[in-house]
Amino acid sequence: MVNLWGFNFPEQTLVKRALKTFYGIGPNVAQGIMARFHIHPYAKLGTLKNATVLDLTAELSTMKIENDLRREVQENIRRLKDMGTYRGRRHAMGLPVRGQRTRSQITNARKLNKIERGGSGRVQM
Amino acid sequence: MSSSTCIRRFSRLSLDRTAHPPIASRSLLATPQTSCFSTTAAQHASAQGKKGMAAAPKRGARTLNIKKNKKDAAVAKKPAPGERKAARKRIVLSNNNALEVETLTDMDKSTALANKHEGQVKGIPDAVVDALRAVEAFKRSQGWSMFRRPATLIRKETTQLAELMSQAEGGEEGKPKTVRRILTGERLNGKSTLLLQGLTMAFLRQWVVINIPDAMDIVNAHTEYAPLPGSQPTQYSQETYTATLLSQIAKANDKVLSSLTVTAAPNIPVPFPAKGSLKQLAEAGVANPEASWSVFVALWNELTQPGRPPIMFALDNLAHIMRNSDYLSADVKPIHAHDLTLISHFVTYLSGSKLLPNGGVVLASTSKSNTPTVSALDFSLEVAEAKQYSPNNMPQWNPYKKADQRVIDCLKDIKVLKIAGLSKNEARSIIEYYAASGMLRAKVDDGFVTEKWSLAGMGNIGELERASVRLRL
Repeated sequence: MVNLWGFNFPEQTLVKRALKTFYGIGPNVAQGIMARFHIHPYAKLGTLKNATVLDLTAELSTMKIENDLRREVQENIRRLKDMGTYRGRRHAMGLPVRGQRTRSQITNARKLNKIERGGSGRVQM
Repeated sequence: MSSSTCIRRFSRLSLDRTAHPPIASRSLLATPQTSCFSTTAAQHASAQGKKGMAAAPKRGARTLNIKKNKKDAAVAKKPAPGERKAARKRIVLSNNNALEVETLTDMDKSTALANKHEGQVKGIPDAVVDALRAVEAFKRSQGWSMFRRPATLIRKETTQLAELMSQAEGGEEGKPKTVRRILTGERLNGKSTLLLQGLTMAFLRQWVVINIPDAMDIVNAHTEYAPLPGSQPTQYSQETYTATLLSQIAKANDKVLSSLTVTAAPNIPVPFPAKGSLKQLAEAGVANPEASWSVFVALWNELTQPGRPPIMFALDNLAHIMRNSDYLSADVKPIHAHDLTLISHFVTYLSGSKLLPNGGVVLASTSKSNTPTVSALDFSLEVAEAKQYSPNNMPQWNPYKKADQRVIDCLKDIKVLKIAGLSKNEARSIIEYYAASGMLRAKVDDGFVTEKWSLAGMGNIGELERASVRLRL
């Protein structure tokens, strides 16, 4: 197991895939990080040198990802709600925020639009 | 009973007697009501109506359950890591069912570069086969697996290459030369095989052979890379690939490298014995991949000392190294293939900006399958061909195409070795070899040879093999 920013991953995990498990890191950000540390796109965590893993961890801890990012998003939504805006109310009700019709097809809104958006997060070791 | 009911009964009996159930009840009301004069028997109609509405099976009764994607843990055993790749890359070089060709003789050191074998099929000696296998010169797409043992046709282009190699060795006047050539030609015309023949001759003449079997593997970002410290502009070394290449060099050139010792202490970050052999030097790079690039440089320096054997430096699938690689620099920009150390080393010698002091051949082969289109390369090759074959008809650059100046610069004064179709005599020779191997059961006469030669698009050797050996009509 390789410890990356407090999370354990099996050695055969692709570095890109491991990075993308973090909330706030998608394909582009992962590619950027890997390019910065000269990790080729098919590298697996087990083949990285220890120094590179430490560098990655240091880089990740400077970024706003996982619980920090979740908190920011949730605070933004809470601010809207506390101000009593329409957007805040729609978030609280789990309904579309941007004027979409609600007669059908609002599954994404039901799934995503809530005050505690993004869930409670993962626990670092 | 009314007359209409009687007619109804009569019609049903007459239309389908077999389908009608034996009349159990005399009562008309008990029989199912069907429309008059219908050709569908009452029983069939009701059976169709009930489709899909069968009652649930009784408890304990076994029902047929055929699921399509049923997973069986015992059958679906996962192959071990690397097993599938090994099976995919496996090279078969012999076929026990093929006949031994009595007249087949091997190439040997003294006659390897002579032109007296032109038009004959010659076997590759076993030691050289091992070396060629080590440098991955055999391709899966080539037809080695159909014959008893590896043998090649010495064609006109092969003797041309042999002539170039004897010039590189110094020829009569004894002054070694660096020969740079790019092999071009149509698809299936035998470019990779000619490259293999070049490697074979080099092994036979005891040159040092360095072969990059497929340029795609260097640039497709499947192996580690790292910036080379102190390089300006930044170059990138690939430690794993270089270590693999060093192990291939050490294995294939075992005899030559073991007999040579280092002249000076190599500048490498790993301990090395004072009078170690060059083979030991290469193996030091294999054992310490992080030092592999500096070991490669040290090995190259040793090989270019005076009195060392000539070098055969070969690469297949040239187009891949003439464009951006799939690697990314720290600022997420693609790295040009010429910025990778190994490729830049090759390109330096291919472009002629450095020469091999002990002579040798820098040979690159283009490929017509699984290859990117690089307009600068295509144009450079067209120009080179025109210079050699039709100087009055020089091609013009299409200004709407994107030019890669680095590619154009490095191929400024390159020469090509164009591979055309076989002549009829060569075709006859190889067809006779097919027949002697028992892989072709036909009477080989002029008519047959001409037919196959024409079917193969005027002697395209790959097509010839397809038409006469692989294709069974």
